[in-house]
Amino acid sequence: MTLLSIRDLDKSFAGARALSGASLEVRAGEVHALMGENGAGKSTLIKVLAGVVKPDAGGIEIDGAPISIASPADALRLGLRFIHQELSVVPHLSVAENIFLGRDYPRRWRFMIDWEGLNRAAAAVLAGLGVSHINPARKMARLTVGDQMLVKIAAAFQDASIGGGVPARLYVMDEPTAALSAEESQRLFAVIRRLRAHGAGIIYVSHRLDEVMELADRLTVLRDGATVATRDIAGLQKLEVIELMIGRRFAEGYPPRLAPVANEMALSVQHLSTGYLQDVSFEVHKGEILGLAGLEGAGQSEVIRAIVGADGGHDGAISLAGRPVKIDEPVSAWAKGLAFLPRERRQEGLVASASIAGNVSLPHLDDLVRFGLVLDRAAETEQAVGLGRQVKLKAKGPRQKVRELSGGNQQKVVFARVIAGKPEVLLLDEPTRGVDVGARYDIHALLRELTAEGKTVVLASSDLPELVYMADRVIVFRDGKVATTVSTEGLDQAALAALCFGTPTAPSA
Amino acid sequence: MASALKTYGTLIGFILVVVFFWIEIPDTFMTAKNWLNISQQVSMLAVVAFTMTIVMVMGDFDLSVGSMASLAGIVAALAFHDGYGVEIGVALALIIGLAGGLLNGVLVAYVGILPFVATLGTLTIYSGLAFLVSGGKTIFGRDIPPAFSGFARSGIPLSDTVSLPSLTLVAALVLLAVWFVLEQTTFGRRLYAIGGNKEAARLAGIRVKRLRFFAFGLSGLGAATAGLMYASRVASANPTQGSGLMLDAIAAVFLGMTMSDEGEPHVLATLVGVLILGVLGNGLTQMSIDSYVREVLIGSIIVLAVAASSIGKARG
Repeated sequence: MTLLSIRDLDKSFAGARALSGASLEVRAGEVHALMGENGAGKSTLIKVLAGVVKPDAGGIEIDGAPISIASPADALRLGLRFIHQELSVVPHLSVAENIFLGRDYPRRWRFMIDWEGLNRAAAAVLAGLGVSHINPARKMARLTVGDQMLVKIAAAFQDASIGGGVPARLYVMDEPTAALSAEESQRLFAVIRRLRAHGAGIIYVSHRLDEVMELADRLTVLRDGATVATRDIAGLQKLEVIELMIGRRFAEGYPPRLAPVANEMALSVQHLSTGYLQDVSFEVHKGEILGLAGLEGAGQSEVIRAIVGADGGHDGAISLAGRPVKIDEPVSAWAKGLAFLPRERRQEGLVASASIAGNVSLPHLDDLVRFGLVLDRAAETEQAVGLGRQVKLKAKGPRQKVRELSGGNQQKVVFARVIAGKPEVLLLDEPTRGVDVGARYDIHALLRELTAEGKTVVLASSDLPELVYMADRVIVFRDGKVATTVSTEGLDQAALAALCFGTPTAPSA
Repeated sequence: MASALKTYGTLIGFILVVVFFWIEIPDTFMTAKNWLNISQQVSMLAVVAFTMTIVMVMGDFDLSVGSMASLAGIVAALAFHDGYGVEIGVALALIIGLAGGLLNGVLVAYVGILPFVATLGTLTIYSGLAFLVSGGKTIFGRDIPPAFSGFARSGIPLSDTVSLPSLTLVAALVLLAVWFVLEQTTFGRRLYAIGGNKEAARLAGIRVKRLRFFAFGLSGLGAATAGLMYASRVASANPTQGSGLMLDAIAAVFLGMTMSDEGEPHVLATLVGVLILGVLGNGLTQMSIDSYVREVLIGSIIVLAVAASSIGKARG
């Protein structure tokens, strides 16, 4: 029986298409995996269901009746529940209180809370999900992330068990196991199977292919905002799923290499370790683009952040052009000729209240100074105008506020900042994420020019074609460690994807 | 229209206040003498508000400025009492101010305490120290050298009847210095970047901790300067005389912030905020209106101005 049916959703943000023809059908009593690369549209689809994003076109039906979800309250009223990796729990309240938050607690003598009754009720809800190891009286903060998630699910589930509210019928779980241990994941799966047995539908979003194959009944794959296929898990091969996710794209749309890689060493990283990274070593040559690949959070970003000292100190040695350097904060990275483009443009890249020129000049203010401390505004403007032209920035002028620019142009501002100091090594974390096709090509073309001039690029990206067509070599990370290093010569996206997923059946590259 | 009201609302409000008093007090309000008088009355608040602007540019606060002003006045007066000259007393007070400000900077930038909490703590510490070293008494009379108290009474003659008060001149110099630092130097540009997005600023190679540390030092220095001005003006020092400065200074910066698109503090806008508070105080006193009414009015104006600009932003 079809519980939820989503048909042909379209959604654009500032001209960039996030969804174009996304469809999904979930039955009652099934775990339905939703898969796709980063940027394929999974999050947007979930946000539509949650009532956070309003689709431009398309329809949603529950039990065959068309509905609209205008707000999170609507979603709740329709019986939809969302479990994210970042949980909204009240840490200093007990498990039982978190389960019954916002509802009437059982009372004694009308006005006193019956704590024992509350704990008993919570224990009953947990037991209904087969969870017996969590004490309802414990403070939420003292639970592991995995147990907190189970409590959160119990809170969503109890609506049905005590009545009054709308029974939860569809659970949307977005990367729920991202922060869980293997044992916690198994507990979660047991609970999910219980929910399924109760007749609920579960949309399960995960990058972890093994998990999906183990848990899900069917899967739907999104690519570039559109649904490409829905398949039964039974009899499905992992490689098939990977191919569905990445599709077959063409090398067209990527600028060709302009010059061969030099034999001179530019950046060497030896035995780099942080709280997460374990013994990462690699070398990059002048004129080379080194790609960093892996699943989300496998270590690509962390390597770049560790090299520029974004998260404080680390173990291991870094040398530039053969000279050892010590970098424990970003300011020394910039000073030593390393330029850094952070992953999150809005949170980490831009000062939205400042102008284009003010954003570009930020790490280079010491070069724009007269009499030791006076900012040379004319020189700053000139710098922004020159670089703006070089990165093909579309703006009203160098003093326009960056908040008024489109995502692609904002990214070009950050990119202009990166190249403004004529750095020897560029460390780029997802430089083309959320950027339109034109801006993307411009950035790629600039990378080719820079490497032809002998500059070095380290490029962390979740966009596999970008790595295959732009990089000379790719390091694949898994769980904070270097899994393998491959040359992109003759490398096929599917093979690279298989390496990222750690699929043993992948052809060796 | 709406956006003009948002940007210029505070300025228009200021002009309306001025026009109101001009009509109500036709004989004395709109005279050079009264305006010079106002400028002297607000000079101490102005200095604190200008240097407060420096930390508020980064999105921080300094609640300790009032008690630091008191402490600085006491320190100078005690130095005079012990027979030290004006230069030594003033230098000591300024050093205490800088040191106290830098202590705030250490707590906020390096220890990582929220500015609100850190400076609330040091507010109490500096206030307690002022009482402790003065024994809770007002230091006045013969202890205060004429050269020190005479400064606040001196001025540059502008005509036969009026002169530019020295305290006004000090405030103007501080204004110029803060304007130069915030608007013309790379230091100021970096502070604005920190206020706009601390994490992006740090990742772009700005030494966020060090700059916050120095900025709080400047705020402490400004507070001590105001404390000295106050002590000079009343020719005495007591451990509570700066206590009214902090709230008015923050209010002045907030009033100024309503004039900027981005809600950023700018020191020239802070000047408008200071003048609004000063003109209200002066005009209402001349109209013999109770000072409690003045407080209610000033509070209401701050709430109104900030509310008007937030409503404008929420719609935008």
